[in-house]
Amino acid sequence: MEFEEVRFEEDSEKALRNKSLQKALVNVTNRFRSARNKASEEVPDWEGLRTAAREIKKETIENLDKYLLMLEEKVKKAGGKVHWAKDAEEASQIIINIAREGRVKSVVKSKSMATEEIELNSSFEHAGIKVVETDLGEYIIQLAGEHPSHIIVPAIHKTKEDISILFSEKLGIPRYDKPEELTKVAREKLRGEFLNADMGVSGANFAVAETGTIAVVENEGNARLTTTVPKIHVALVGIEKLIPRYEDLSLFLTVLARSATGQKSSTYVSFITGPKRSTDIDGPEEFHLVLLDNGRSKILASEETRESLYCIRCGACLNICPVYRQVGGHSYGWVYSGPIGAIITPQLMGIDKAPELPFASSLCGACKDVCPVKIDFPKVLLELRKKVVESKMGDVRVGGAKLEKLGIRLWRFSVEHESIYKITNKLSYYFQLPWRGSNGKLNSLPYPFSRWTDQRDFPAVAKKTFREKWKEIKSETG
Amino acid sequence: MSNNSREEILHTIRKGLEGVGLEETLEERNFLSETEEIQKLTKELQSKLKTQFVGELENVNTNVLEAGSEDEVKSFLQDLIKEKELKSFAIWESEFLKEMNLKQELKDAGLKLITAKNKNRIAKADIGITEVDYAIADTGTLVLLTDKNQPRSVSLLPPIHLAIVRPENLVRNINDLFIILKSRLPNTDDISSCMTFITGPSRTADIELNLTLGVHGPKELYVVILS
Repeated sequence: MEFEEVRFEEDSEKALRNKSLQKALVNVTNRFRSARNKASEEVPDWEGLRTAAREIKKETIENLDKYLLMLEEKVKKAGGKVHWAKDAEEASQIIINIAREGRVKSVVKSKSMATEEIELNSSFEHAGIKVVETDLGEYIIQLAGEHPSHIIVPAIHKTKEDISILFSEKLGIPRYDKPEELTKVAREKLRGEFLNADMGVSGANFAVAETGTIAVVENEGNARLTTTVPKIHVALVGIEKLIPRYEDLSLFLTVLARSATGQKSSTYVSFITGPKRSTDIDGPEEFHLVLLDNGRSKILASEETRESLYCIRCGACLNICPVYRQVGGHSYGWVYSGPIGAIITPQLMGIDKAPELPFASSLCGACKDVCPVKIDFPKVLLELRKKVVESKMGDVRVGGAKLEKLGIRLWRFSVEHESIYKITNKLSYYFQLPWRGSNGKLNSLPYPFSRWTDQRDFPAVAKKTFREKWKEIKSETG
Repeated sequence: MSNNSREEILHTIRKGLEGVGLEETLEERNFLSETEEIQKLTKELQSKLKTQFVGELENVNTNVLEAGSEDEVKSFLQDLIKEKELKSFAIWESEFLKEMNLKQELKDAGLKLITAKNKNRIAKADIGITEVDYAIADTGTLVLLTDKNQPRSVSLLPPIHLAIVRPENLVRNINDLFIILKSRLPNTDDISSCMTFITGPSRTADIELNLTLGVHGPKELYVVILS
């Protein structure tokens, strides 16, 4: 997806005014949250599973070079090819080259955040190769020329009326209004694309170092078709997706399905090791694993934020986040949204490209509590905020920080001197009166305080202080 | 180009991890003895696991038949052929299904046999019939391994998938399954090119969170459990 610069404040304001988006966000996040809660409560030792999953991810990331080499060796042994891509451009180039060598005319894709990250679709289009997204949500988004707004349900910002009009216009068919009818249209259309495609591109939820197996989790079956029907299968996998042992899959699949959608098990999981064997009747003849770095190896170097790489992309942090629930995925400006976007985007893209994101959080810590690998989001966010301030990026932020410092110094001076404190209290009561709104709160203050009131109301200063009221009550009650 | 990147990525990782303790990580576990334990337990629990499995299948929109005899399976198939107006089928050539002789049964009923070799043809089959290698009781999951007799498309391209489960296929949970699988892979190079977990028919909730079945994979899933 095309990336210029994250404009969180601007985009989030737009999102807040979009009524149908607001409704959809409440629906999806509530539904997934309650499903997740139920599914995790059913498991006798959910906390234990989270701790174990975190430990395994820590072990993996801290031995990543070793496990990557192990994975490479096993994939090759199984007859697959392994490619290493240091950045988005190289990854796209590798995949385009595979397509050219295989004389590929048409490509089907199953949902993959990594392919969004490298803007693979536009590379295919530039190379004159047709590419079709096959996850229903992604298909809708591709037809509309938009970007996903939720990691699990990409088209959640679209109503069924929107989709009905879209299908009718883009596919040249009559208007269908029921979700079942629209789904049927997509099935028929996409089935043709699958049978016609020369190449399937998937991501992977996990890559097992010990066996060279990739695991792809889904509900629709489009990933199964993508990895089975075309003669070439390419899997684009971020280097942080590794897990060491085959049996580790049982733990990770358990926490992933329950955290993402609240299912005990997703409908389909495909465990793919290399291309079809010579005796197999079907399956792809070629298997290519493209390992994507694109900034990940640099995240490793920082001990404080390294755990950002533990993420298994379940989306639970989005659904619980009070900020995401209001502003939706597009406000985060890039592929990853919600709390995980707020920590991953600045680190992958460079903190200067997204200095607002580490501040797009109230640090309430709800994300940390639901995270299946216990990423300490508030800690990482504070660490990134520190980096933003230290590097003096984003003028507004640094200017804001200076004013904040000055304000706190003044406040400290006044509370250290009782008489001054009393006077400033009285004065601020009278000063604020012109801005007091009908709801008894301050809803539009001049700069620099407008930076608060543009987004939310500020409680008004009371006429009497707490101490004055206390005295009154005491004398009344004797 | 690619080779340089490989060295560059590995170098950056190693530099970033300087000072991090590198402990030996792939410890030895005796999966064979763990598997023996599990199989003993599973056998004792078999009828309980079957009940649990059926319950979980029903939770994920799957039609279940508990068949007392092979004749029951066959008359169920005859009914299904009529009800769904089935004209063609694809089937695994695995030992057990051969023994059951379902292929001949369906041919005799006038259905056309379609092989998985040609994708365009198998896409037109009305039903795909497989057995399972394992069945996970506590999630209602079918586990299918690809090999020379068990092509992937049979459970994927036709609109109806029918799977036959034997009681000895049942395992308690996904943990047990991976221990068993691992015990059978002393040499991890012998692994199947594709293992598939199937839990219910294909589903989506991408349009306003409305659950819709059969978006890409089979719309209907039938599981026949033998006794």
